[in-house]
Amino acid sequence: MSIWLIIAIIILLALCGAPLFTIFGALALYLFYASGIDMSAVIIELYRLTDMPPLVAIPLFTFAGYMLAESNAPKRLVNLAQALFGWFPGGLAIVVLVICAFFTAFTGASGVTIVALGGLLFPMLIKEHYPEKFSLGLVTASGSIGLLFPPSLPIIVYGMVAEVSIDKLFIAGIIPGIILISMLGLYSVRKGIQEKVPHIPFVWSNVARALRGAAWEIPLPFIIVIGIYGGFVTATEASAVTAFYVFIVEVFIYRDLKIFSDLPRVMKESMLLVGAIISILGVALGLTNYLIDEQVPQRLFEIVQTQISSPITFLLILNGFLIIVGMMMDIFSATFIVVPLILPIARAFNIDPIHLGIIFLTNLEIGYITPPVGLNLFLSSLRFKKPMLHIIKSILVFLALELVVLMVITYWPDLSLWLVRLTGTQ
Amino acid sequence: MKILKTIDSVFNKIEGALLIFLLLVMLFMAFGQVVLRNFFSGGIVWGDILLRHLVLWIGFLGAALATSGERHLNIDILTRYLPGRLKGAVAALSNVFAAVICFLLFRASLTFIEFEISNNSTVFAEVPSWYAQIIIPAGFGLLAFHFIVRAILDAGKALQKGAPA
Repeated sequence: MSIWLIIAIIILLALCGAPLFTIFGALALYLFYASGIDMSAVIIELYRLTDMPPLVAIPLFTFAGYMLAESNAPKRLVNLAQALFGWFPGGLAIVVLVICAFFTAFTGASGVTIVALGGLLFPMLIKEHYPEKFSLGLVTASGSIGLLFPPSLPIIVYGMVAEVSIDKLFIAGIIPGIILISMLGLYSVRKGIQEKVPHIPFVWSNVARALRGAAWEIPLPFIIVIGIYGGFVTATEASAVTAFYVFIVEVFIYRDLKIFSDLPRVMKESMLLVGAIISILGVALGLTNYLIDEQVPQRLFEIVQTQISSPITFLLILNGFLIIVGMMMDIFSATFIVVPLILPIARAFNIDPIHLGIIFLTNLEIGYITPPVGLNLFLSSLRFKKPMLHIIKSILVFLALELVVLMVITYWPDLSLWLVRLTGTQ
Repeated sequence: MKILKTIDSVFNKIEGALLIFLLLVMLFMAFGQVVLRNFFSGGIVWGDILLRHLVLWIGFLGAALATSGERHLNIDILTRYLPGRLKGAVAALSNVFAAVICFLLFRASLTFIEFEISNNSTVFAEVPSWYAQIIIPAGFGLLAFHFIVRAILDAGKALQKGAPA
């Protein structure tokens, strides 16, 4: 049997829904075997995981995010955000954006945001007389917003696959992420004025009460932001502090998570995701190593180069390609499959791997809400019991706005890289 | 079928318990390291190595649980739309495939471990590295087992007459 036939069979199995780590494992095993190398080479490469310091951040940040999502933190933080921004025209919509960004950054893009927060936020929007279509679109679009902010798991995974500094990526994502949210925020404000949505008056005592309520959760973003940006801790150390802090706060101070019933469940639940990611990461190391030894990326680049000559065209095609990818697979699978292939090509076109990471993640974020098959559209349709077509119509404006921001992010590298240079993060 | 499910869930219980224990160790140890490094100028030398091995253990145990929970990352764009019985058949096929691959990875990791033992390599201090690495074959063994169970259950679903879609 030829190599290609076997590879075709393995790809077919991938489309039949076989777990991705077994697909990568099969390819790695077979390719090593076919070139006469002992199969245990795959395991030697897998064991390289233990040489990667950022590895520890994956379970710790995930655990912290799941604890927050399962506690009453969403309610407390919504209260706070509403007391602070509710008086604004379109204030509640901004609350939705900020809260969703916060939780997506903490839980990764696993759809947790729509499922956990949608049920809380959507009825609130309707109650405050926001139009139904706008509210639906906003909640659906917000489900993947915040991917660019620390400590987002997709950023960590991209950093590990692309072997670039996670600290730098965390910093690079900030400005593009803020622009993305501001864009949707401005639209929401306009909508709020247009529809004459009643304001909630700003009351100091409400703010004070909400602040007291969420007093222990407020420091969280600051621990990460000041810790990493100030250069006091690395992303990995920040994950240790965050997880420990959230554990103490949610289990012993607020007591939202019961130590013998909730805690073990949340631990197992979060580590399922971690297991799913680390198993792919482990076998992918072997596969990537083989591909590099065989100079596959270089050959790929040579092929691409005959078709595309300028980096601008490359980026444009990349954007289109990545949105399709983002529509078809979840963000982690996409990272493992696509990044090793596009990274060397991008490098040859002189595109900074940090900038590429931000482009990559923004694209996938958009892929989530791209009709007809973006994952968030499904989740939203299920969660709010609305027909798919209805959801798609509601999302179009948000999709268009995000595409505009994507173009800006793609063709203005300094937007991502300026802060990295400024802080001189290593 | 029923016995199979029981054995599967007994394994899950053990894996879950070990997972929780290791995650707690990791939580406290990772935090302890940060405190030691920043306030007492120096963490435990082998602490970080141990932490990364803990992630390996947690990763394999989590992956084993993800198998029983059908939560592995995969591309489901095509299978999402299949009717009930056909879906079962396709799932059985992909689970058999997954089991075979895990078994091959299990064998490959045995070779790896044998090599490490005969080399007398150590993770840190005098601790032989295979103590920490044993999770690799054990993990792939568990994964192979869970995938077989999944495959049998899915095949059952596919063969069942009038199965719900």
